[in-house]
Amino acid sequence: MSDIMVTIDGIKYKAREGESILKIARRNGVFIPAICYLTDCSPTLACRLCLVEIDGKRAYSCNAKAKEGMSVISSNEEIEVERKAIMEVYDINHPLECGVCDQSGECELQNYTLEMQRDEQSFSIADTSRPSHDWGFIHYDSSLCIVCERCVTVCKDMIGDSALKTVPRGGAVLDKSWKDTAPKDTYAMWNKLQKSLIGLASGGDTLECTNCGECTAVCPVGALVGSDFQYTSNAWELTKIPAANPHSSDCSLMYYDIKHTSIKDHKDKIYRVSNDFHFSTLHGGARYGYDFANEIDKKDEKAFKKAVKFFKEEADSIKFNSFITNEEAYILQKLKEKFGYKLVNDDAFAYKKFLQNYRQVSGKSLYSSNLRDVKDSNFVVSVGSFIKSDSPNTGYAINNAMTMNKGAGLYFHPIADPVVDGYSKNLMSISHQAGVEESILYLLLDLFGDKEAMPKSVVDYLASFHKTVKKTITEVVKEQVKEMVKDEESGEEKEVVKTVSKNVEKEIEVDVNSLYGVVGLPDDFDSKLTKFLAKKDKFSLIVGEDLYNHKRAENLAKLVGLIERFTDFNTLIIPTSTNTLGVSLICDLDESVGKKVIGYNEKADFALSALGKGDLDMPALNQQEGTFTAMDKRVVPTNVALQFNGYCLNDIANELGLDAENTIDYTPELGNIDGFKNEEFDDLPNEFENSGFENRGYLLEEKNLTCKDEIQEIKEVTFGDGDLVYLANPVMQFSAFTNKAHQLNEAGALYVSSDFLEKRGLKDGGMILLSNGDAKLAIALKLDMQIKGDIPYLPTFDSKLDVLPFFKDGYRFAKVEMKGVEK
Amino acid sequence: MIETALIVETVVKAIIALAVIAGMAGFATFIERKVLAFMQRRLGPMHVGPYGLLQLAADGIKLFTKEDIIPQNVVKPIFMIAPVIAAASAFVAIAAVPYFPEFTVFGYTIHPIISDINVGLLFIMGAASVGMYAPLLAGLSSHNKWSLLGGARAVIQLLSFEVVSGLSILGPVMMIGSLSLINMNDYQIGGVANWLIWKQPLAFVLFAIAGFAETNRTPFDLIEFEAEIVSGYATEYSGMRWGLFFIGEYANMITISVLVSIIFLGGYNDIWIIPGAIAMLIKVSLWIFLFLWVRAAWPHVRPDQLMWVCWKVLMPLALINVLITGIVLV
Amino acid sequence: MELRGFKNRNVSPGYIFFEGEPKPLTSWEQFKRFLSRAVKGELFVGLWIVLREMIRFDIHTLQYPMEKLKMGPRYRAIHKLLRLFDSGSERCIGCGLCEKICISNCIKMDTKVDEKSRKLVTQYSINFGRCIFCGYCAEVCPELAIVHGSSYEHASEQRASFGLKEDMLTPLDKFKANKQKEFPGFGALSKDADKFVKKTPLAY
Ligand code: SF4
Ligand code: SF4
Ligand code: SF4
Ligand code: SF4
Ligand code: FES
Repeated sequence: MSDIMVTIDGIKYKAREGESILKIARRNGVFIPAICYLTDCSPTLACRLCLVEIDGKRAYSCNAKAKEGMSVISSNEEIEVERKAIMEVYDINHPLECGVCDQSGECELQNYTLEMQRDEQSFSIADTSRPSHDWGFIHYDSSLCIVCERCVTVCKDMIGDSALKTVPRGGAVLDKSWKDTAPKDTYAMWNKLQKSLIGLASGGDTLECTNCGECTAVCPVGALVGSDFQYTSNAWELTKIPAANPHSSDCSLMYYDIKHTSIKDHKDKIYRVSNDFHFSTLHGGARYGYDFANEIDKKDEKAFKKAVKFFKEEADSIKFNSFITNEEAYILQKLKEKFGYKLVNDDAFAYKKFLQNYRQVSGKSLYSSNLRDVKDSNFVVSVGSFIKSDSPNTGYAINNAMTMNKGAGLYFHPIADPVVDGYSKNLMSISHQAGVEESILYLLLDLFGDKEAMPKSVVDYLASFHKTVKKTITEVVKEQVKEMVKDEESGEEKEVVKTVSKNVEKEIEVDVNSLYGVVGLPDDFDSKLTKFLAKKDKFSLIVGEDLYNHKRAENLAKLVGLIERFTDFNTLIIPTSTNTLGVSLICDLDESVGKKVIGYNEKADFALSALGKGDLDMPALNQQEGTFTAMDKRVVPTNVALQFNGYCLNDIANELGLDAENTIDYTPELGNIDGFKNEEFDDLPNEFENSGFENRGYLLEEKNLTCKDEIQEIKEVTFGDGDLVYLANPVMQFSAFTNKAHQLNEAGALYVSSDFLEKRGLKDGGMILLSNGDAKLAIALKLDMQIKGDIPYLPTFDSKLDVLPFFKDGYRFAKVEMKGVEK
Repeated sequence: MIETALIVETVVKAIIALAVIAGMAGFATFIERKVLAFMQRRLGPMHVGPYGLLQLAADGIKLFTKEDIIPQNVVKPIFMIAPVIAAASAFVAIAAVPYFPEFTVFGYTIHPIISDINVGLLFIMGAASVGMYAPLLAGLSSHNKWSLLGGARAVIQLLSFEVVSGLSILGPVMMIGSLSLINMNDYQIGGVANWLIWKQPLAFVLFAIAGFAETNRTPFDLIEFEAEIVSGYATEYSGMRWGLFFIGEYANMITISVLVSIIFLGGYNDIWIIPGAIAMLIKVSLWIFLFLWVRAAWPHVRPDQLMWVCWKVLMPLALINVLITGIVLV
Repeated sequence: MELRGFKNRNVSPGYIFFEGEPKPLTSWEQFKRFLSRAVKGELFVGLWIVLREMIRFDIHTLQYPMEKLKMGPRYRAIHKLLRLFDSGSERCIGCGLCEKICISNCIKMDTKVDEKSRKLVTQYSINFGRCIFCGYCAEVCPELAIVHGSSYEHASEQRASFGLKEDMLTPLDKFKANKQKEFPGFGALSKDADKFVKKTPLAY
């Protein structure tokens, strides 16, 4: 894609070849009305408002690709007539319900009707009964729907659930006479509009998707809204607080929409979470898991004194997790330097080690990819990530790469995932045995590695898997046979050439890679892969949480490093939770705790907790300002949405001899750490520009290091026979914080597939007894339609369930014995 | 015996005069409100008693029962005594004023004057001048800028117009040759034609203007001009003390009305069939009405205009008047 | 801001500028002015006018607690929330336009979705400590739900006394007794409103 020049309304703009005209216009602040187009999704051409004139011909700017020297006119009289007529058509039979509609004030139909100055209607058609539906988290009022298909598009092209589709409207047929009276495009668009509505792809009554709620965000009108938000507030009353997703490491830009609770209660309350849907996507956890604030009335001085005393006199270690800001991590690190506390954070510790090993081999201080790169790539491989739960946004990026770039990919995970399967036909899911990740990475090296550049030992080792085997195959040979045919009418005989297929047995030599068997690749893998790889030039490798606590984590990290170095793959090593990357860079972590432990959002001898059950209350992440280090290697700011009335970590630190008025005074000090910059919190931007440029915080600086290649051979990790259980959270749940939100609150269970239930003759909701050595747990079964196969998973979000004893060595797979318990 | 009777009579007269004048002063406030209201298309007080007649009583009760506030930084004794001076000087002046012709009750001839001193006019003017101390002391002692300004304005105004009123009255005095008001009254016996106003019109006008100024009435009420100096010297006063200032002012108004009536308008001599006493009442009432009327119609003058009029217009005119009178008399 | 902008107003023709009389410069001129003012009788004109009014006795006083002014339809006092004439249900649909337009930012409302899946206004309040009675809310209300009342007697121990939905909404018994009057004032439809309505074509 090269730089070209495109003229819009007489002004020349730089553009990339193949970019849409609408994008160029938006980037340069030229206004072209458009309803149905969504950035990064395919144009649906439903609205036709983006009509422009390109080199004298009408074209739709969302769909028109830029070419050198193009001349675009964004509006002329004819186009205006067309646009005005389109807006009138949209207004036909649209209920006059702005008064109660949730979208009023930010409704694109409202805006464009006003923009086009429509106060008269010249079209009409009989109305159709269009009832509204409650689809669980989402409410659909079909009478408001303008069938722009944005919801369908985002669900398919961005999210990958394809849970929505257009369904027949069953309305009156458009009278042909309109064809003569209505402008051309208007008629066409009306014709299409009059035929459809939106329905569920599943055909049922409730949405069976990952409930990201992105469709409610993109809906330009009030047709799709969050059921919980419905009719609770008008758009203009809400104040948008820019923040970053506090639940997962994508840390996407989102807004807490706050307003006073009610006339009686003037305290602020978060009514919903909204996002800049053209540029940032939110998952269900972020969208619905917003009310996890720790509400306390006042400062508890006694508890604070106790905490300070505990810090001063008793504690020798601090246990925490990665749901904290960079600044807090920095404070903890400073406390460690001053008082020698041990800092223990399991997930960041594992991640840090993984990154260090990766660094040694790859020679890069950080992984090379980010979500934008994944979206832009066209061949994606994911290893060791239960992607739709662990990092939905990475899943969206993969899906986006599949749909928008005609991409292909491989998804390696022991648990089969119908959601991921649904991304694309060209994404091959491989449900391998747990523990064979090493083989997978070696396989990738073998398939994609630059054998000439790779160290000799590795090349030799890889070669050792290959064997040439003689094989008899049946080949179809086509032969041409001449035949005499008698024409029945004329009685003449003619010679006709016919093609006949014949099966021929043949012995050939095949190269057999024994890794295929270990990984469990299907037979037609090679041929499929060849097809997948046609015309692919941008490769992404996504590495997930399964590897960090793997028994062979060290070697896995090094292998990832090798892949980074010797293949075309750019790697993305997904940080486990929100700020895992930040913590692992900032804190000098210890492996295990000492005698007296302070827990920050963790159970311990003295617990500081934002969940509200500890010894001293702490602010939750939506009550704090600070920064996160996002998966994109970007330090992004987040702001205070709700007031916190108690003490925060900084108060304790001040009491212990550090000195900072606010936690964010440490933001510039982060610059002391490799990669971070010396920037004031208040100077950090947090927005997307019109061009889609992500102007949020700053990017970590990356460095090149010298690299070593000490790679070990594969060491098998096996579990033998018996049942396995996996450690993961269901969709939308990430931690106890998401579970605290009223829309997401649920009791944890053992999540199982329908195969699992069937095989064992168990029922959804039944109880089961899990045991593994000392660990025992009686737990309910919950059917998860979005997994397949025999491995169930145990969640961590429910603080009432203590599942960690099952996973003693940290690895996400564990062997358990299951006994059905009668209810 | 005669002496005792005289004392008793004087005391009784004094008490009656005091009561009547004080009552009239109060009543005048009621009339003022009503007249001003009517002239401004309003009704004035209506709620207390029939047509608001008892408003007066209500005000009295209010004034009497109000807390006597003495602000913190005032010079206490002076602050307290100033209103008394105002009222006392006004009432003292009344002593030498004859109101009606003498009459006989049960064979006892009563002179409706408390004391007929032969320098009556001088006495009245002198006593009234003492009243100047009231605003001066009140203003100085109040520890308040408005009060101070009000006091200062009062002093210059009263002092200046004292000159005008004194000079203007010289003409009539020269003609009559006496300072006793009874003599002045008697000089005009014999009907309207004999009134001094015809002989001394300029003196009459000057004296009337000076009268307005000395009683602080519109258009010369700069002393307590709200828009500029709040309530002037009375700013810090409330309750009964403020009431005393108020009574003093109205008593002065009555005194001036009586004086004008006696000196220029034929006094308490009978007019045609109207008996002297009634004629006197009518005259005084008309004068008081004039005071109110003027208040309803005219704006204030500025202090500098006031001084300008006093020293550059009125005083020369008064001197000329004296000169002409003298020439005519000689 | 500089004063010049205000002084150099480019006023349209038709204004008559009155500069006032010339100032007397010499003492003689001053004296002449004094004389003309004193003798011209202007003062007596004033006296005559007030006397005339007194004689006419055309009194405009309204004796308030006994007599009361009838306020015009455009008078803007404490608000009322009206009900629909046919059904008696509340007119307010919770559109929030009044809340948005209010320049004193004193309207607040709580809404939710009710069992019938409609928007329900659970509470509505105006902070009368802040309201400036501009009437914008009544004007903007599409339902003519929030209107100004005409009663001007609002003494109470609390300013909140008039500001809640239950205070402003026509009580049902009053409504049933047919006592709710349509509001003719600020924001109401004009008599000729029909003339300005453009008809929307209907297909049936
Ligand atoms: S969708 Fe838009 S135009 Fe339609 S009722 Fe809602 S706010 Fe109004
Ligand atoms: S529901 Fe909303 S986003 Fe979906 S088609 Fe209708 S209007 Fe468009
Ligand atoms: S009258 Fe004006 S200030 Fe008062 S509530 Fe209505 S819009 Fe607000
Ligand atoms: S404008 Fe009218 S209908 Fe809308 S919320 Fe206000 S009172 Fe209710
Ligand atoms: S935005 Fe191009 S057709 Fe709708």
